[in-house]
This record gives sequence, C-alpha cells and structure tokens, in this order.
Amino acid sequence: MVKPIKCSIFLLFLTFTLFSAIAKDQESKNSKYSGRIVLSTTSDPKSFNPIVAKETSTGTITNPIFEGLTTTNGVTTEVEPNLAQSWEVSEDGKTWTFYLRKDVKWFDGKVFTSDDVVFTFNQLIFNKDISTSSRDIFTIEGKPFKVEKVDEFTVKFTLPTKFAPFLRSLGQEILPKHLLSDVVENGHFNSHWGLDTKPGDLIGTGPFILESYLPAERITFKRNPNYWKKDKEGNRLPYLDKMSYVIVQNQDVALLKFQEGEIDYFGLRGQDFPILKPEEKKGNFTIYNTGPAFGTNYLIFNQNTGINPITGKPYVVPAKLKWFTNKKFRKAVAHVIDKESIINIIMNGLGFPQDSSMSPSSGFFYNPNVAKYEYNIKKARAILKEIGIFDRDNDGKAEDADGNIIKFNLFTNANNTQRIKISNIIRKDLERLGFTINFVSLEFNQLVSKLDSTFAWEAIILGLTGGIEPHFGNNVWQSSGHLHMWYPQQETPATAWEAEIDKIYNQGVQELDNNKRKALYDRWQEIVADELPFIYTVLPASIFAVRNKFGNLNPTSYGGAFHNLEEIYIKK
Amino acid sequence: MKKKSYSQFAIGFKKLRKHKLAVFSFYLLLLLYASAVFAGFLAPYHYDNEKRSLSYNPPTKIHFLNEDGKFTKPYIYEMSYKFDEFYNRIYTEDKSQKYKLNFFIRGDKYSILGLINSDIHLFGVDPKARLYLLGADSRGRDLFSRIVYGGQISLSIGFVAVFISLIIGLFVGGISGYFKGKTDTILMRLCEIIMVIPGFYLMLSLRSIFSYSLNSLQIYFVIVCIMSFIGWPGVARIVRGMALSLREREFVLAARALGVSNLKIIARHIIPHTFSYIVVSVSLAIPGFILGESALSLLGLGIQDPYASWGNLLSESMAIAQIKFHPWILIPGFFIFITVMAFNLLGDGLRDAFDPKMNIE
Amino acid sequence: MATYIIRRLFFLIPLLIIMSFIGFLAINLAPGNYFDTLKQNPQISRETISEYEAKYHLDKDVFTQYFYWLVNVSKFDFGYSFAYKIPVIKILKLRLFNTFILSLSVILFTWLIAIPLGIYCAVNQHKFSDRFFSFLSFIGLSIPNFFFTLLLLYFASKTGILPSGGMHSLGYEDLSGFGKFIDLSKHLVIPTVVIGTSGIAGLQRLMRGNMLEVLRSQYVMAARAKGLSENRVIYVHALRNAINPMVTIFGGSLSGLLSGAALTEIICSWPGLGSLMLEAVRSQDLFLFAGDLLMTGFLLIIGYILADILLAWVDPRIQYQ
Repeated sequence: MVKPIKCSIFLLFLTFTLFSAIAKDQESKNSKYSGRIVLSTTSDPKSFNPIVAKETSTGTITNPIFEGLTTTNGVTTEVEPNLAQSWEVSEDGKTWTFYLRKDVKWFDGKVFTSDDVVFTFNQLIFNKDISTSSRDIFTIEGKPFKVEKVDEFTVKFTLPTKFAPFLRSLGQEILPKHLLSDVVENGHFNSHWGLDTKPGDLIGTGPFILESYLPAERITFKRNPNYWKKDKEGNRLPYLDKMSYVIVQNQDVALLKFQEGEIDYFGLRGQDFPILKPEEKKGNFTIYNTGPAFGTNYLIFNQNTGINPITGKPYVVPAKLKWFTNKKFRKAVAHVIDKESIINIIMNGLGFPQDSSMSPSSGFFYNPNVAKYEYNIKKARAILKEIGIFDRDNDGKAEDADGNIIKFNLFTNANNTQRIKISNIIRKDLERLGFTINFVSLEFNQLVSKLDSTFAWEAIILGLTGGIEPHFGNNVWQSSGHLHMWYPQQETPATAWEAEIDKIYNQGVQELDNNKRKALYDRWQEIVADELPFIYTVLPASIFAVRNKFGNLNPTSYGGAFHNLEEIYIKK
Repeated sequence: MKKKSYSQFAIGFKKLRKHKLAVFSFYLLLLLYASAVFAGFLAPYHYDNEKRSLSYNPPTKIHFLNEDGKFTKPYIYEMSYKFDEFYNRIYTEDKSQKYKLNFFIRGDKYSILGLINSDIHLFGVDPKARLYLLGADSRGRDLFSRIVYGGQISLSIGFVAVFISLIIGLFVGGISGYFKGKTDTILMRLCEIIMVIPGFYLMLSLRSIFSYSLNSLQIYFVIVCIMSFIGWPGVARIVRGMALSLREREFVLAARALGVSNLKIIARHIIPHTFSYIVVSVSLAIPGFILGESALSLLGLGIQDPYASWGNLLSESMAIAQIKFHPWILIPGFFIFITVMAFNLLGDGLRDAFDPKMNIE
Repeated sequence: MATYIIRRLFFLIPLLIIMSFIGFLAINLAPGNYFDTLKQNPQISRETISEYEAKYHLDKDVFTQYFYWLVNVSKFDFGYSFAYKIPVIKILKLRLFNTFILSLSVILFTWLIAIPLGIYCAVNQHKFSDRFFSFLSFIGLSIPNFFFTLLLLYFASKTGILPSGGMHSLGYEDLSGFGKFIDLSKHLVIPTVVIGTSGIAGLQRLMRGNMLEVLRSQYVMAARAKGLSENRVIYVHALRNAINPMVTIFGGSLSGLLSGAALTEIICSWPGLGSLMLEAVRSQDLFLFAGDLLMTGFLLIIGYILADILLAWVDPRIQYQ
C-alpha cells in the first residue's frame, strides 16, 4: 500500500529536478494566478453539510471545500495521500496508522490535527443522533471502526475485520472540531451548515472557499490563499481566483449558455454533439470524448419468491414468477435488447453497449470477457420455444406451457426522459416476441417504494451510478442487500449463483491482494452476465466540451474535466 | 316559453352563418374532429409502426417528374442515412427503385370507433419504402400518422374536461350567487380550497395518486377528471360574481315577484346571461387543457408513448437539437395553434349570434 | 362591510386547515414517501432510513402526521424540509422575493396589455385591427410555455440581445443601482413575456366580451342618445361596468404571486418558488409542500377578499351583509 506513494514521490522528484532551474526565476512573477472558471450544475445543493447530505448536487459543491485523508486520482483511479501524508498497516490488515500533514490549516487559520479526524468519526459519523449515510460505510457487520488519536498528527484506525476498500473510503470529508463540537453537543448538527449558512462560516481545508450562494442561481467560490498543496515549483495552489457554479436545470439552456461563453464547461448528450462539434474553433473550445460513462441502464425482473405477510398472497403471481426465475426466459429477453438502435436513436450514435456489470471505464476491475447477447429476435423466439413459450393459438400473443398469456407490467421512472425512450424501444421488441406489455412511468419515489417495500412490480427499467470499487455495490449484489433488486433481503440465497456471488463479495472485501481481488470480481461479472439478474442495455459516452483557455487539463471518464481543479490555470 | 327559445336559436344560427370566419372555423374543427375519428384510414401507418433505421427521416420528397423531366404519377425513393463526422444524420435517396404513391392501399390494421375494422388506407406506398409526409420521429414513426392519431386524444381531452367542469361550475356558481348567504359561503369556501392549491401542483399530486399501473386509456380518464376537477371552481367563482349582480337586475326581481321558482330563475335567467362568458371561457379553456396535458407529458406523466397526443408529440421538440436539425418535430404545435384559433373564432361568432341582448335591438 | 371582512378573515383559519390537510392527503395518498429515494442509494442502510421516518412521524397515519404538523404550525414552526434539512420557512424566504418580482412583472405586463387591448378590440369589433390583435394573443395562448421559453432563449442566445436565463448577471454585485435595475429587467423579459402571453388572450377576450355586452346595453344607448361624446360613453360609462367581472379574476391572480410557474422558471433558470415546489411535489417533500400551500392559500384568500371589496366598490349594486 506504500507503493503508490513511493511512486508519486519519485515522479515528483524527477519533475522537480527537471523544472527547478526554470522555476526559480519565474516564481516571483508567476502569471498562472488569477482568473475565474464558470461551471454549471443542474440543481441546487441541498445542504452544505457533507456529513448529513448525500446528494450528488451537494457533493459537487462541498468537494472543493472539504477534504479527506485520502483521495482517488482522477487519471489512474489509484488511492493517493491527501490530508494524510502516509500510512502504515499492521500484519493482519486491521490496524491502520495515518500520519497527517502538518501544514494544513482550516480557513479560519486553526491548524488541522488528529483531533479533527477523531471528532469527525467518533462524534459525527458514529453518532446515532446524526443522520448520515457515512456510518454505513464505516460499519462492518454492525461493528464500527475504532478511531483513536495517537498524537497531534497521528491517528489509528482499528477495523473489526480486514476491509479492502478502506483506503478509498477514507475520502470521507473531515470537519473542524473547534467549530462543530458545541453544535453536536446542542444536538443541532443535523441542520447545521444548511443552505442558510453565511458563506464565511463554512470552514474546510480545501482549495476553494465558499464566497456567496444565490439560491437556484449561482454559487461562487474564492481561492483559499493558504491551501497546503503546492505546484512543482513550490507555488501555492490553486491558481484560479474564483470559481462559480451557475445553476441551470435545463440542459438545453446550459448548452446555450456554453455557446454564448457564459459557462466554460458543458457535458454533452449525444444529440448535442452535432451542434457543438462544428463550433469548436469558433467557440474556442475542445470536445473530449473519454469513453463509456458510469451510469448504467438495465432491465430487471422480479424474482421474489416471498409472500406478502399482510395479504397472504405471493408478491409475484406464481405463473409469472416461473418465467422470471427461468434463466432462459431472461436470456431470450437479453437477445431482444436492440443496443445498436438505442445508441443510434437515443444517444445519437455516441454510446456503448454494456455487457458487464462494471463500466469499461472502471479500469482495473472491469472484466470484458463475459457473455454477450446480440440483438436477434429469431434466436430469442427459439430460446423461448425451448421453455414452452410461443404463440400457441396464432393470436399474436405468446403463451406458456400452461396456456397463460405472457403479460406483465413494465415500469420506469418518469423523471428520466432518456430512460423512458430506451424503455419504449425495449417494450416494442418485447411485444415482437408476442408479450403483452403494460408500460408505465412512475415518479421515482413511487418506483422505489415498489422495489423496496411493497415488491409489487414485475419488470423495471432503472439505472445505478456505477463506480470503480465493486464492493461499494455490495448492497446490490449480496442476496441480503436491500438493493438486491430482483429479490432483496434474502435470509439465505435463493439460488446457487446468488450464493456464489455472496461468497465472492465476502471474500473480496477482505482480500488485500489486488490481483486476487480482481480474479474474484471477474468471476462475479461472469456470473451476472450469465444469469442476467440485471439485463444491461447501453452506456452513454462521457463527452464534454471545455474552453481552450485552461491549462493543465487532463480529462478522464472517471474524474471528468476538473478532477485536478487546483492545478488548472488560465493560459495567457 | 319553450317555443320562444327555439326560435331564438334559429335566429342565432342564421346570424352565425353570416359570420364567415366563424363558419370557416366551424368547418375546420369539423374536419379536424372527423380526421381524428377516421385517423386509421387517413394515416398511412399505425401510430406505433416504427422503422428504427430511419430515425428522424426528414419529410419525404414526392417526385412528380421522371428523369426526363416529364410529369408522371407521383413516386418516392427509399431513404437511408449515415452519420457524418459531426454525428449528423445525412439522408440520401436510393434512386435505383421508384415507389409509386398509391391510393386506397392495404397496410396496418385499424378500427374506427370500434365499428369498422379495415386495413385500407387513403394513401401510402409499398411497405419496402416509407412515406413520411411530415417527417419521422426518433424511431422512424410517421409524424403525420401520429398527429392524426394524436388528435383523437388532444381534441377530446379538452372538450370533455371543459364540458364537465363547465356543468359543475355553472350550477355551483349560479346557486351560490343567487342564494347568497350560507350557501354562498360554503360553496365559495369549497371553491377556494381547491383553487388555493396551485393547479399545476395539484394536478401533479393528483396524478401521482393514480399512478399505479394504469394503462393509457385509464391515464386519459384520470387526466380528464383531474383537469375538470381543477377547472370547475374557476368557472363557479366567476358565474357567482355575475349572478350576484344579475340577481339584483329588474328582470330577475320581476320573475321573483311573479313567483317563479328559484331553480327556474337560475336556469332561465341567470345562466343564460352568463352565456357570453361561457362561450369565451370554453373556447379559451380547451387549449389550456391541451397544453396542460403537454406539460404533464413533458414531465413523463401525461399520455405515454407509444400513444400519441399533440401534447406529448410537442414535448418531444423540447431540445435545441430538434429545433436546429429536425424542425418538423415542431409541427404538432401548429395543429394546436390551428385548433385554438378555430375554437376562439367560432366562440366569437357564437357569442355574437346568441347573445341574448342582441335580441333587444 | 367591515363585519363582512372580519367574517371572511375569521373563516380563513378553518379554510387554511382544510386546505393544508388536502395537501397532506394528496402527498400521502401517493404511494411511498420522500425517504424512498434514499433507499436507492447503496450506501444508506435500512435502519438509517427507518430512523428518519420515525423522526418525522412518516411511519404513522396521515391524521397523526397532520396533527403533529398542525401543533407545530400553531407555534409558527413549519417543520423541516426533508430534502434541504433546514426549516421550511428559511427555504421559502430564500426564493420568495424572486418569485414575487417575476409575478409582479407578469401581472403588470398582462393587465396593462390585455385590458386596453380588450377595450380597443371591442370598440373596433370585426375590423382588421380587432382580428389582428386577437390573432396575436392566440399565438401566445396556444404555444406551450415550456416550448416558447426555449424558443425565446434560443433566439436570445443567437442574437445576444437578452441573457439566456437566470436572474442576475455574473458581475451583478459590482453594478450601480441603475445598472442593477437594467440587469434585472433584462433577465425579466423572457419569463415575463412567456408567462404573460399565455394569460393575455384570456383576459383580452373576457374584457372584449364584457365591453361588447355593455356597449350594447340600454344605458349606454341612452347615454349615446343623450348626445354624450363617444369617448365619454366608452371610457366613463361602459368601461366601469365592463371591468366589473375582471375584478374577481384579478383577486384570483394574486395567489399566483407566490405559486410560481414551475416549468418556465426551470427552463429560464429563474430562482423562484415554482421549481422548488415542483421538486417538493415530485419528491414528496411533505412539509415544504404544505408550508408553501399554506402561504399561497393565505395570499389567495386575501386576494379574494380584496376582490370582493373592489367589486363592491366598482358595482354599488352588490351588497354584502
């Protein structure tokens, strides 16, 4: 685990020697400082409190303000030191000692110490009175991590078991003890640092300080002049003076604003590409296509064999359950997902078929060698015939062996127009198999309440935001997980393959050897592609346009354009 | 009494006929409604007949001249597209084969009002090629066919919703304004409670109550009911305001003095006097309902694809890319506009023709 | 009159209670609750969510929930927004002013155009100008607001005359007082025109209809017969009677001051209450929705009372006991 640090220190050394000669006489008149970057976001933050809030809209805003002990490199996706400059791990992999940086200061000038780390974990995250989802990450089998102060700048974490994604999870934001301990004692932390906070009261350690917030309009940050990170020449980062987020809910309006030059960055949908691409030169920007994105779209069937305790009836009608739990039925369905048309029609040709349960962009853990299902209606019909499903009476409707018409509800969420369009293409193809589909789009929470508590659904098309760490999806893949959507919260795995995935996940989280871990998760992806609990569809391409005026840009699919925000400067 | 009111209507129709624009509008609406009824016959394709490889096919060019420049029977070519370097769809005609435009051609099956089942369409081409009079949508479905089918929903949704809300509104408003006192207070408070909740949000929250696995027909009725439910208090309040003033008028006072029953007074003297308001408000409310449905569609809560309504067709156009590259997607908006205009001009004519005060002259 | 107003105000309380209950009911009848959204987050446990639900009494029936809320409201505590985790009042306060500005501008725009236009069209009935203006106002009526907004923004962006959405420019803080006013006005144009045009046709038609009716009535004819000038007949005698039903409508439109126009606001990036409410309804952010309903309701009823008073003032035949 010390490897990446050594590596980066070596690199740092190398570059330092190369540039030090030039750097010395330029240091005083470094022209990289100054300037403003204007970005856009689709919704308001819900809070400025990174512990309580878990929405992406909040994360976008708190990211430049707060930092964690570690960070994930936007290019290599490796874990790197951040507020902790180095760490040690005991032989059994359960005790971790972190050595904190000594040059980090909170915005108000107080020095960042191990007290803050201990406070963040023990008083905030593990505090039952505070509603935070972070607690679930740092709790294994009901046991929280033990966090202790060793000295002013050393913290010790004791884990109940080995926990492979531990370092990555330490991206958890650290909050200042000296400002918040009173708030916690008074019991006000849950609503502290809400949207009504005075910008100056928001104290972190990050590269940018919140300067102003105009609700539903704009969030402005200013440079943190005392930020601890320095560039190769030893100049304090960040270079940019100001950063603003304009809140634009409608993507087309954001596009207009980008064309006008009001914002410097725009995340393109496929349909926007032909609009912007010809304007690259004139608009002085570059479009980066970084490959498949992370957000998945998939079709699931309800395989819940349970019985509703209130009505005494099974959640899924037995005849339908028989289809849904049949692997061949799901394979046939996988063969009618017209991925190519979905990409061409909905993503304007700029998308990728998804076969594996991890995005190809997730790098290390991605397994490309899984079963793939080409669009082939004939083949799908043949597979269905094998299991006795075909049109027996020539009425255009398929029946199963018992004479039941293949008919089910297909739901998706109403607030995602792209997904509704995908669903409609899939619906049409399912109808071609002779199925009778009742397609309904529901409000997101209603859909979730069906998935999660009433289990009153048959087929759903939904999406999940993927990541690079497979274990962070354990709620989805382990049969006991509440997001194990096709049959959540099982007491014992319903099938042999679900049992195998459970085993893989239990081993994977404790396996500290990366290559062995990869082998485990490769197998998981194979099983999923074969058993098809999730029938994957397509991934959009992650494309964005950024103005040419910025230096040090290094866009990636994982990190986006501004993962190294503090290093970005405006070219003169 | 009865005889007189009959002749009143006869006079009204005579006057209406002189109102040329109103007559024109009337026929236009008739045409639109008829085309909605006979959608299956008029539309060359079923509303969900797609051809994915012809995504956003522009309106088909119909050729009247052959290669020598001589007139011939109208024909079209098959089209196909490729993405260019900017990921624009570039459509080209395949000139190797001509497809004649045929009338009374066999195609998708349809049914008119559930009575006539057929597969004969007014016009069309050989199924190997596709005829897109007004272009194609994202999945290569014929926009013209979808508009014609969409009329079934859009032209009826406003009409039915307005009708229901008007009936409730007139009676509640008339009674409230005429009787005043406690009746008025209770009824008006009821109206206010419904009106207090901003219509759009009320519509949304009502819509989400009825969300569980409805099919499209049910969604249609839910939307109609919700819209009339939201619409009637507005009518009632205004009718009540007029009734309040009317009840003090000489003719009402006279009728009351003559011992005419209250309900009769409301029906004979109060409501007819609100007629000009009603005509105007009906003609204005219908587009409101058509557009209300389109706003719901935009949020994914209206009539759902594959079914077409002018509202959900228009909500498709909500993107710069559509305006710029596929402007024909905006055509449903034109149909909404035509309908709105026609309703209003007809409303104008009706108002002029049937206004009871015109009889004084 | 005074007793009438007092009685109306007295009725306000039960009215608001029933109304906010309807709001509660509407949100509750829809399946699920706000925290269901969180259930889709792989990193949040069920226990955490149950904790939340218990905390806000969402695990109880709607009457109990409402009772808890009402008790708090009587102490001027409108509860917390689930999504924003701060008191509802504070969130509403952040956006109240913006919505108010926009609505005011819309009302001014609509009424200042529609009323004179209605009168003008009535006086020039069946002439070309009547047809032309009616035609224009129908265009506004028949284009869906959301689409019209995008269209205007598109052209604004192409021509560069008007800003493409938002409320303030980036450098707003540094502008002078007058500069600020100009900046704000520029940003107001598109949303005002969009929302306004959809209302003009209705008002214009009504005003025109009323005016025509009045112009044909006996007393106007009598006034003409007396030899009064046409202008005096129209603008003094006829107008006063024709405007009567409009007053009721005006009162009703006051409630709109705070409800906002969600779709237009969203597309224009106008920081008003509309988009907030849309989000609250859709995500079932119960207390936020109920809080806003209460406020809107209060304003509407005030509006109606004002309308009734105005009505009595312009039409002496109406009496309130």
